[in-house]
Amino acid sequence: MITRRKFFRNSALASAGLIAGAGSAGMACSNRDNPGSYDIMEEALKFRKINAHEHVYLGSEPSSLINAADRLGMEKLVVSLPVTVEDRVLVTPEKFRECNNLVLKAMKLFPDRIMGQFYINPYYSKESLEEIDRCVSAGMVSMKGYYQVKINDPLYYPVIEKMIDLKMIILMHTHCGIGVGGYRTKYGNIQANASTPDDFAGAAERYPEALFQYAHTGGGGDWEYACKTLRDYPNVYVDTSGSNNESGMIEYAMKHLGEDRLFFGTDGSYYQGVGSILAANINDDQRKKIFFDNYNLILKRSGNHVD
Amino acid sequence: MLIDVSANIGHWPFRQTGLKTCRELLGNMDRYGVEISVISNMNGIFYKDSHAANEELYREISSEKRFRGRFVPFAVINPLYAAWRHDLLVCSRELKFKGLRLYPQYHDYEITDPACIDMVRCARDEGMVIALTVRMVDSRLRSWMDLSSEWILKDVIPLIREVPDARYMILNVSGGIMLNDEDTALIRGTDMIFDTSGRNISDLGSLLKKYGNDKFAFGTHSPILDYLTGLLRIEALADNEADESTREMLRSGNAKRLLGI
Repeated sequence: MITRRKFFRNSALASAGLIAGAGSAGMACSNRDNPGSYDIMEEALKFRKINAHEHVYLGSEPSSLINAADRLGMEKLVVSLPVTVEDRVLVTPEKFRECNNLVLKAMKLFPDRIMGQFYINPYYSKESLEEIDRCVSAGMVSMKGYYQVKINDPLYYPVIEKMIDLKMIILMHTHCGIGVGGYRTKYGNIQANASTPDDFAGAAERYPEALFQYAHTGGGGDWEYACKTLRDYPNVYVDTSGSNNESGMIEYAMKHLGEDRLFFGTDGSYYQGVGSILAANINDDQRKKIFFDNYNLILKRSGNHVD
Repeated sequence: MLIDVSANIGHWPFRQTGLKTCRELLGNMDRYGVEISVISNMNGIFYKDSHAANEELYREISSEKRFRGRFVPFAVINPLYAAWRHDLLVCSRELKFKGLRLYPQYHDYEITDPACIDMVRCARDEGMVIALTVRMVDSRLRSWMDLSSEWILKDVIPLIREVPDARYMILNVSGGIMLNDEDTALIRGTDMIFDTSGRNISDLGSLLKKYGNDKFAFGTHSPILDYLTGLLRIEALADNEADESTREMLRSGNAKRLLGI
């Protein structure tokens, strides 16, 4: 008998199977009252997934990314390639175009699996706006910002306004660690221009019609601080990616942000990304929203949704 | 069968968690099919006299009949504190604890401190397993009152080199899993396991090749980390990375061997 697990294991490109399994996602966790019957792979594979935060050529080739996606039943991956250099002047238009060309290459290699996300540096405003046009024309679906410029910096305003017109979301790298400015208890950032939750709040207040994605609540920042800061900004969504799969993070985010503002993501931490959502004390309808529906609704605004 | 080698009960003072008691933990174990959990009491990290936490753990495990056979208790003892030898022998001989968890960073001593080495030798002679936790939490989001730095794997190597014939569990490996050849050989030659809860267990298939199929075991690092990622890393292994026999070793076989249960 071919089990669902075997099917995924034996399939190099299992997207058809992923789609076929979507119908069961709304079921309750019926087997959890029966000790010993929990099949984690069955649970992992029964949910359709859009991975809202991943990278390519940043330590992983497209093929290894797809390998991980097949293991864990990720149907679509939204990928970008930022330049990991803090000095904004050094991240030139040539460099971000080069990154985006690599993402386009990955999209061509796996057109049914990889959705491209363009990366720009708003310090070079004119070139960034031109690059957004180029990438959208080539089929990319959203934007990635990194730690060269804060999300609430005026340099970002024309970019945000363009993204509002495009009805696309801005995924911004974040940091929320302690010890900045001499305050032991104040959350700041290690990189001078990384965006903090408070910076997101500023941008969201100025542009309530824009769509923002607070990156990786599991990425090492204080997710409690982030969720509490962002609770009153309904146009800020958070992705749950990152290596730090602390218990209770998903439930806490849901308590403060609601079940419609969370996206599944991995940012290189595939097992934590899936495991933390499976382990969360939430129902399967909520899991379905986080794994797939919430981000798909964002994609729908620009006509890039799945199905 | 699943054995979780890295669970805790007790209170983590810097944020709210669930699964603080044996009763709560047992509920999760039953829900996910975990037969046995190796547990220690996190309160012992923070009490000056950590042995009080061991007594709490013993009382808790003894409090309900259904806990019998489901928990394998490990002691938490500070070798710099008074009467550690007495406490260790009580844990081993009277309370029947199977192992000893060390927290050098929290208890403020070096891992090669003569008192630590002395206590590890004593625990070895009592037949106890030594558990070292690479980190309790990710220091990037630590409380301002918590440790400001965390270990990586090579930080525990000096103790294994000093007492190579003890049995070890190295838990929540979050940094430095790729040791050099000399340290890799030491690990391969030691009776030890890594649990699967740590973020460095990102490519378990390759790690099995590097360190051996007998060197890994399912662990949750509960209640700090989510309960299922450590299991997912095992169950998502491809057939060419682990056959069913290897998976069983990871689920429970290696833990049984090390713990002698």
